[in-house]
Amino acid sequence: MADHADTLAVEFRNIDKAFYGVKANDNVNFDLRRGEVHALLGENGAGKSTLCSILAGLYRPDAGEFIFEGTPATFKTPKDALAAGVGMVYQHFRLVSNLTVAENLALGHPKLSVHISQEQLEEEARQLGEEYGLPVDPKARIWQLSVGEQQRVEILKLLYRDAKVLILDEPTAVLTPQESQQLFKTMRQLAAEGRSVIFVSHKLYEVKQVSDRVTVLRDGKTVGGAETKDAEPRDLARMMVGRELDLPTRDPNPDIGEPMLIAEDLRVAGDRGLEAVKGVSFEVRRGEVLGICGVSGNGQRELAYGLTGLRIPSSGKVILDDEDITKKTVEQRIDRGIAYVPQSRLGMGLAPGLTTEENLALKAYRKPPFSNGPMLAPGVFKENGTKLIEQYDIRGVRPGLPIRLLSGGNLQKALLAREVELNPKALIARSPTRGLDVGATEAVRNLVLDERAKGTAVLLISEDLDELLALSDRVLVLYEGEVVGRMPAEEATPERLGLLMAGHRDEGAA
Amino acid sequence: MTTRRFIVEPRGLASTGLILAVPLLSVLLAVIVGAIFLALTGNSPGEVYVKMLDVSFGSSRGISETLISATPLILTGVAAAVAFKMLVWNIGAEGQFLMGAIFAAGMGIWLGDGSPAAVALPLVIIAGAIGGAFWASISAVPKVYLGTNEIITTLMLNFIALNFMNYLIFGSSSPWRDPLVPQFPSGRPIPDSGRIPEFFNRLDYGFIVACLLAILAWFLISKTRWGFEVRVVGDSANTARYAGIGVPQKILGVFLMSGAFAGLAGSLYVAGPVGALDPRSLDLGLGFTGIIVAALARLNPVAVIPVAILMGALNNAGPALQSIQVPAATVTMLQGAILIFAVAGEFFIRNRVRRPEKRLEALEEVSAA
Amino acid sequence: MNDSTLILTLVAAIGLGTGLVFATVGEIITERAGNLNLGVQGMMLVGAVAGFWATFNTESLLLGVIVAMIAGAAFSVIHAFASVSLRVSQIVSGLALTIFGTGLSSFLGEAGEDPLVGNPSKATFEPILEGGLADIPVIGPLIFGHDLMVYVSWLTVAAASYYLFHTRMGLSLRAVGEDPASAESAGVNVARVRYAHIMAGGALAGAGGAYFSLALVPTWQNEPIGASGWIAIALVILASWRPWRALFAAYLFGAATRIGFTMQTLGEPWSNIPSSLLAMLPFVLAIIAMLVLASGKRARFLGAPAALGLPYFREQR
Repeated sequence: MADHADTLAVEFRNIDKAFYGVKANDNVNFDLRRGEVHALLGENGAGKSTLCSILAGLYRPDAGEFIFEGTPATFKTPKDALAAGVGMVYQHFRLVSNLTVAENLALGHPKLSVHISQEQLEEEARQLGEEYGLPVDPKARIWQLSVGEQQRVEILKLLYRDAKVLILDEPTAVLTPQESQQLFKTMRQLAAEGRSVIFVSHKLYEVKQVSDRVTVLRDGKTVGGAETKDAEPRDLARMMVGRELDLPTRDPNPDIGEPMLIAEDLRVAGDRGLEAVKGVSFEVRRGEVLGICGVSGNGQRELAYGLTGLRIPSSGKVILDDEDITKKTVEQRIDRGIAYVPQSRLGMGLAPGLTTEENLALKAYRKPPFSNGPMLAPGVFKENGTKLIEQYDIRGVRPGLPIRLLSGGNLQKALLAREVELNPKALIARSPTRGLDVGATEAVRNLVLDERAKGTAVLLISEDLDELLALSDRVLVLYEGEVVGRMPAEEATPERLGLLMAGHRDEGAA
Repeated sequence: MTTRRFIVEPRGLASTGLILAVPLLSVLLAVIVGAIFLALTGNSPGEVYVKMLDVSFGSSRGISETLISATPLILTGVAAAVAFKMLVWNIGAEGQFLMGAIFAAGMGIWLGDGSPAAVALPLVIIAGAIGGAFWASISAVPKVYLGTNEIITTLMLNFIALNFMNYLIFGSSSPWRDPLVPQFPSGRPIPDSGRIPEFFNRLDYGFIVACLLAILAWFLISKTRWGFEVRVVGDSANTARYAGIGVPQKILGVFLMSGAFAGLAGSLYVAGPVGALDPRSLDLGLGFTGIIVAALARLNPVAVIPVAILMGALNNAGPALQSIQVPAATVTMLQGAILIFAVAGEFFIRNRVRRPEKRLEALEEVSAA
Repeated sequence: MNDSTLILTLVAAIGLGTGLVFATVGEIITERAGNLNLGVQGMMLVGAVAGFWATFNTESLLLGVIVAMIAGAAFSVIHAFASVSLRVSQIVSGLALTIFGTGLSSFLGEAGEDPLVGNPSKATFEPILEGGLADIPVIGPLIFGHDLMVYVSWLTVAAASYYLFHTRMGLSLRAVGEDPASAESAGVNVARVRYAHIMAGGALAGAGGAYFSLALVPTWQNEPIGASGWIAIALVILASWRPWRALFAAYLFGAATRIGFTMQTLGEPWSNIPSSLLAMLPFVLAIIAMLVLASGKRARFLGAPAALGLPYFREQR
């Protein structure tokens, strides 16, 4: 061990961490050398983020040893970790959106003098950006930047503090394949300077491309590690999943019917009043899954709002089963058979403080037998709840328990159960498996495919290309609110979609 | 490596015992804090508390006076409970109460002696509800349609209502002012047909009406379709929109309902013990005390009733303390302390605090459940 | 000219507004850290009684103000503990602070063998920098001849403005008010920042309260500050969370408070307006300001901290 002291930056031994009795890290071992890019590979829920958050001082482990640069250490807060030279770029960026880039870099920096000069901060930010090939306007406020630029600010923030260990948690999830390549270059540059980079991912091909070593986590445990060049992708995949990768995908012989959900030159305003969906047209047929891909923030949310009635389109048409529903309210659209699975379950879609029973009746409550005139029928709520909880295998429910205390997978099953029970004509789903573990992903994918088999028109809006390609019959690419490409799933490759998502028009296909 | 002193985690469901223990403990701790301040200022806490109990519960007269004090608090408590549950921060029960009293007295005076009680009494009471709802609407409509922060507007409207009442009685010769005693400004009595009959000493049926209204509020919120929609909106406005529930209408409805309840407190006060719009006999602070009542009742309209009786007992005891040279403000101080402890107690109802060593037991508990 | 009604009203407005300046700047600092403290009224009252008591016993104004500030800060810790550590609703916690503070202040003023109530203060703030300078037309009486606390309030405003926008601590404080999770991961201790600035707000509210009991109405009476604590909360919005604007907003409200007296000096028909109607003016003004300036997204535009009013959960999972 002693001879490792000069080469090892970080060593974790037997780390345990539980949240409310559920073990997120269970006896995890992990070490990081100086000057390497070390991939942390695992499915959603495998404990990668937890391990990284412990290293970054955000969480404290329940048990285990942590050795930093050869000596046992404790990071009680992110501040401790940063002071020691460990910084993390979180999946959800931690930037203060109303402050400038320069202010975000300076924030919390221990060497900052009491008096601060904007000009000086901005100059420092600009120089640092040039040095690492991460250009960004230091005067800009964070909310004015694109997602890719924000990620650059996050990395600069760590370099501004001269971090020796940089943790990047699923950094490519928000990038186009081309932007990812640029990021990989930066990562290699950092490693060449003697810094260590932890690259968290569940994408094998990325791990294979950029990392020196790889550690695989599954169900909170370390299940293997290797030099990347010696690792067979198939072996890594098996380690990661624990069985042969067998997530449900669509069967290629669809029984596709008449157009059910049609958008005609649809235009929908964004939050700041500017047009976010700029003349989108498509049709989804009965028994078909139409996938919509694009980098987050290119009009996906507004498109879903325009179709579900959460925002009335400024022009164009929405047609459901030959009826123009463009001006209809949300309630009227629900009545006519539009089901919607939003992106963040607890933010929209479920009432977190109400019970599972109540949430399962959230769309049917208006009608008999759930209510008679102005009165509710509590017995029917209960009956319906019991039935769906059983049928869709929703676990962890107790009488009176607020639904927010269920796990992500069970929340999603409850939400889908309710939507599917409406027997919708069209199902609109946004990233339905995001953040779910393998088991729940499988259940959710099956539910979506069952709907397709029943003849429902499914619109799948997702940033996860794997999910999209596994489920969609056709794919359509959204860039800055416009359709820049459409193709059958068979013709869609990640590379081709990536170019389109980055705004390169695919001549001939659009 | 690191062991943490405490681990805090949300409790799924708090036991009934805990839900009852927290308010009781809050009162107990407030009594202790009060005792410390009383002792520091040279009073005997024991003597003061015995006196308070004696005044409020020691005689049939005391009990009836306590219930008289509790009546408006039940309604202002419900007003705060229904609003806060929806995250509508109506801090204006005070002003809505006064406006209710002004409307109720105005209705009584306008009707005069001519109309029978069966007509006059309901009209007087309903006028108060309308007055309260009207006053709430000044904050509610801008909140819903313009997004104006209701905390400030409801607060400011309290002071406007207070000054308006003072204007009606002290600053003008309005119909509300008693013309028979011009030298000494006071409220003109409303006719007997607009007064609620008494049944137990000075206690009138207004108390019963208030209890029934509290139960009605509970019923509306927990048993009706409207109440379900309101609860969804209160829990997550986004989800409500998603489910096709009209969020603005629901918020407006609850805000006006809250105002109407506070206004009813005013009308029951005018039609009950006071019989006029009289600034001197109108207890100020009933709106704010209603917030304490609601918090201690954990925003449950039915639990508001016993809590209001407790606060009514404190209010009732206040003036009597002066006879033993103890400031009446002792009562406000105690009420404030109760609220502080009740608010802090919410934390323990919502969360479980444990030592890290107990991790294994906690695990078993979860898996057993 | 310096005796004109306008100038006299403005001079009086400065005096009447000074207590508000302290309280409003204090609340701005607290809210900039993302914490809404509705306990201003309670903290001011506790400061008013503590300051009066200290001066009553020591005949020192300096000690009076210092004790008032310590009392306000100490009292605000109750709200800090409930809303930051226990993460209960800031709104309810602040209201609790006000109700408790109101009772406590009146209780302390009336309790004991020899209560404070009705006693004049043993020392009061007197005008300084009078004479020649104050005779300069218009600006003379507006700038000179106030009591020391007025000048201290101006320094407080300048210091608060510098602190918020040009110091390391100010940057952390604003970041915590905007986005505590991001601030925390940048190494800022969110709880510590919130505690510190809730207490700073409490100390300034205490000083504001003491201004009423030691300068404006230097005889102890129950609730000597009127509704100033509530007005201060409205002024924060009117001042769009900026200290310099708070100074002028406070004076505007000082003038509105003075309006009854001004009307009397104007003679008929103005003096016939009932004082109870004129007393509504500051509150009506506050509501109108809220409607015009701070409705909907405009409040955010004005500079409302994004995380204002929200409890922060560190290990949220």
